[in-house]
Amino acid sequence: MNKKKHLFAEDSFFLSRRKFMAVGAAFVAALAIPIGWFTCKLERRNEYIKARSQGLYKDDSLAKTRVSHANPAVEKYYKEFGGEPLGHMSHELLHTHFVDRTKLNS
Amino acid sequence: MHQEHDMRPILKHPLNVRIFHYILLLSFLPLAATGLLLFFKPLSQEGMQLTYDVHIIAGIVMALDAVAFTIMAFDRVVQFIARVFSFSGRDVKWFMVLGGYPQKFLLGKKVPIPPMNKYNSGQKLFGACVLIGGTVLILSGLVLWLIPHAAPRDIVWFLGQAHLVSGLVLTAFLPVHLFLAVYRFDDFKAMMIHGNVPYHDAAEYTPLWVKNEIAPVATNGEQLTSK
Repeated sequence: MNKKKHLFAEDSFFLSRRKFMAVGAAFVAALAIPIGWFTCKLERRNEYIKARSQGLYKDDSLAKTRVSHANPAVEKYYKEFGGEPLGHMSHELLHTHFVDRTKLNS
Repeated sequence: MHQEHDMRPILKHPLNVRIFHYILLLSFLPLAATGLLLFFKPLSQEGMQLTYDVHIIAGIVMALDAVAFTIMAFDRVVQFIARVFSFSGRDVKWFMVLGGYPQKFLLGKKVPIPPMNKYNSGQKLFGACVLIGGTVLILSGLVLWLIPHAAPRDIVWFLGQAHLVSGLVLTAFLPVHLFLAVYRFDDFKAMMIHGNVPYHDAAEYTPLWVKNEIAPVATNGEQLTSK
């Protein structure tokens, strides 16, 4: 590292105080406005997701059949064809295998 | 020509700027390389996974570097913005001869160029692209990395395109920047080593800067003789 001491340097006041504040404020605003807008969009989107979840729960609570094992069609399947839940026939017909197709893990 | 041999040092790049530039350099080079690899996907899955991880880590380093410099040297950031976004007729004239560089490299002749401030018009264009493109890269990269599933789908798509375009533009600037940086060797040494350029170099390439903004520094309580 060269230790040579400089003899000249920039006069840091080449910008007037008024212009410094104007440029600094414009920079901060140019950063803050898009970030604020994006954050607002994000919050509004989450509100929509929450409202939709609430609607789904409400529909669920009003539904006649609320659990899958009480579904008449499923009951009919086990009674007339599939035997019992987790039985051999049901395992053969209904069990699915998972294949990891993940490309990037991070 | 007295000025050709005037070796008195002018501080052009202070220590905080040099440290910022070093970290930017060490983070942007791997970012550009891994960014191109992520775009063209030539490697195996393990290779792409490693590329992705390196891209993320280097991106975090660059983001922290930019945020830290903006907070710790806000005045330098404001001055930089004021410089790169200043525009005058001299910039038009500079771009009309492209700073005289093509004539110098291709035809071996020197053409008159308008006097420049601390940065010439090409450097100002590059600076504006780095400032805007770098900000876009950091902000869009954070969203694409951390909350692509939570952010609105259309905005994530748009940020992905903005990230790609900004990254390609800045990567395209890189070889030009490296070549011209080494060509201006006094400035190169100033940025990479000690921060100082000799007076004759500054007077040749940045006469308006020397004329309007450079002042002698006090040594041992005495002002140096006027420049």
